Amino acid sequence: MRRSSLMVAVLLLALLAGSLSAAAQGSLAIVFDVGGRGDLSFNDMGALGGDRAQRELGVTVREVESATTADFLPNLRALARTRQYDLIAGIGFLLQDAMAQVAAEFPNQKFAIMDGLVEGLPNVMSVSFADHEGSALMGALAATTALELGADTVGIVLGIEIPILLRFEIGYRAGVKWAVDRWNEMHGTNESVKVLHVYTGAFDDPARGKTAAEAMLGQGAVVIYQVAGATGLGVFEAVEEFARAQGKEVGPPFAIGVDSAQDYIAPGFIPVSMMKRIDTGVFTAISRALDGTFEGGATLLTLAEGGVSASTLEDNIEMMNAAIEAGTLTEAERDELLAGIQRAREAVPASAWEALYTLDHLIRTGEFVVPQALDAETAEFYREILQ
Amino acid sequence: MSQLPAEPAARPKQKAAGAGHMLRGALASLVQVVLAAGIGLAIGAIMMNATGYDWKEAYHALWIGSFGDRWGLFDTLADATPLILTGLTFGLCFRAGYFNIGAQGQMIIGALVAVAVGSSLGGVPTLVAVPLVVLAAGIAGAIWSMPAALLKVTRGVHEVISTIMFNWIAIYLSGYLVFNVMNDPRSAERTVRVAENVRMSALLPGADATSALFISVFIAVFFYWLLYHSPWGYEMRVAGFSHDALRYAGANPMWAVNVTFLLAGLASGIAGATQIIGRPPTYALYGDLSNLGNFGFDGIAVALIGRSHPLGTILAAVFFGALSTGARMMQIIAGVPLDMIRVVHGVVIVALAAPELWSILRRSISRRVASRTAPAASGPAAGKGAQQ
Repeated sequence: MRRSSLMVAVLLLALLAGSLSAAAQGSLAIVFDVGGRGDLSFNDMGALGGDRAQRELGVTVREVESATTADFLPNLRALARTRQYDLIAGIGFLLQDAMAQVAAEFPNQKFAIMDGLVEGLPNVMSVSFADHEGSALMGALAATTALELGADTVGIVLGIEIPILLRFEIGYRAGVKWAVDRWNEMHGTNESVKVLHVYTGAFDDPARGKTAAEAMLGQGAVVIYQVAGATGLGVFEAVEEFARAQGKEVGPPFAIGVDSAQDYIAPGFIPVSMMKRIDTGVFTAISRALDGTFEGGATLLTLAEGGVSASTLEDNIEMMNAAIEAGTLTEAERDELLAGIQRAREAVPASAWEALYTLDHLIRTGEFVVPQALDAETAEFYREILQ
Repeated sequence: MSQLPAEPAARPKQKAAGAGHMLRGALASLVQVVLAAGIGLAIGAIMMNATGYDWKEAYHALWIGSFGDRWGLFDTLADATPLILTGLTFGLCFRAGYFNIGAQGQMIIGALVAVAVGSSLGGVPTLVAVPLVVLAAGIAGAIWSMPAALLKVTRGVHEVISTIMFNWIAIYLSGYLVFNVMNDPRSAERTVRVAENVRMSALLPGADATSALFISVFIAVFFYWLLYHSPWGYEMRVAGFSHDALRYAGANPMWAVNVTFLLAGLASGIAGATQIIGRPPTYALYGDLSNLGNFGFDGIAVALIGRSHPLGTILAAVFFGALSTGARMMQIIAGVPLDMIRVVHGVVIVALAAPELWSILRRSISRRVASRTAPAASGPAAGKGAQQ
């Protein structure tokens, strides 16, 4: 008797569980930017978001790569036409035009674009990330590192002077200012840290990034944050060459990466990167599409919501494993890169890490609000007051 | 002139061929194509099977995605549009005996000029503006192919070297122009968009093909007429066989070189324009040239599959377009990753191009043997000419 009732209970539970998981099931399609899986950047992070949705929500995921930018439109259309997906996510702003068109053609299909903006369509969620908050963390680490090393200069090399990049620069300055104030309060000193900034005018010109970084190093910058796409690769090169010329295998000087965990690019010289969490973006979008809270329009994922973060060693490992899965990296290469990343992280003064994580906490709790600048005038205003 | 042999270069045996022989020849090459495609697809199936993908589902998806419904068909035609033109570039030069690898660069230049002209023609009636853009892009492509021809004629520089060099110059020039001169201040990654009145409309709503397709087909037919029904085309083809023969016939081989390169460049320049004004949704050129893809280099394979015949090139381009369009559904329905799909496509393409590659090899061997066995008859001057 007891046994049979137990069995009934188990059966009921199983049924319940079955119906619960069935309710949670859904399907997600991800359209990657050109370059596809294995780019150790946005595409791989988007794929990680899909993996997480599969794991935690039981969602089935279909990944579609694009050979050229001309494939975006037909790829999105073909997916929308199947009417099988609860959400179609596009990775990267290059898909903007195509998504705007397809979303208008299929008003009942939900879309999400990562790090891009599709305006005026209720079925597209445009996910952007609080770059200013993440950049402030980088500023705190950079300034404290400089003070700890007895230096007084840090730098930031940027791409073209567009509004979104002003947000990075002012956020970085705010982090520097916060860290310097904190340092002076703790040590009873009156130190200051100068922030050098250069807009190189290009996102694809490593030579310009290198020239800009070399000039900053010549003026005594010990940490340089790059926000310049491929131009920033020149920043990494300049920092590494500068250090190696002095016989160093590891920084200082240091460079800071952006968008994804770029720490592996110059192992030993990039202790941290400001990550835009495309994975969180994809996961958030599919979750909202499934639980009915999906809303079109611009959505800013803050630091507190996991939209940006300082890269950790685990982030690097996770991403490299994704690259191994995609066949672009071997395990031996991964271990060697990780050793270099570890060396760079250890070379940064502990107090600098402490400053970064303290500021991270303050931003999360809302105790510190990072100023935003999206036009030249506001940026100039903050440059003045953040001296 | 039209009563001249259709194939003076390749098959001397066919000289006395009647209509029956030609039909048999066409049938034979059709059998050859079907066989080659079959072999390629079979190898592709084995490879997909070995890596754990359902080849039947994958090929079904390939069919659905490329010809299975009207959208698939029109997306296929959209990809075929530039490929017809870049295929003509290689094919025309090949008929005249040259390896023009410069389609990619000529296409880039055409695209740049299409943006420059297309963005400044706002308000001009479409029927005037579109031909202007196309013509300007074509002329730009033609001009870009001239240095290779002139270097060939005056200095004997091999066209493979010079056209590859000019591809690189075009790539770097485009980088400079896109980011510094034609840049859209709101979208740093690309140029400004062309004016709305020069954007060609879709043939079928919901698919990518535009009326640019007709331009491609028109030029292919024009090249066919030129090559096989005009005296100039005859000279080009004879030049492909032997410069000495052409000189003996009283024509100037250098003239043939220049005209061939000009027309070839024209086609690829227009290919660039079709990707700017005839392909939704961006109507601009990306700084990394990602919306031009590899159409220039793919044109070489298209021409080889199409046996360097303008009409064969149309068919080959449609087939090629079907492969790239079908790749979409192979990913969506069958879940085969794009890298694997590209491998399978590569195998099919190599299988299809193999017969033509083999005949190139055989021809060049037999030519070398012929020049070695009869040195006295041709003389030193002729030997020099043959080497060019």
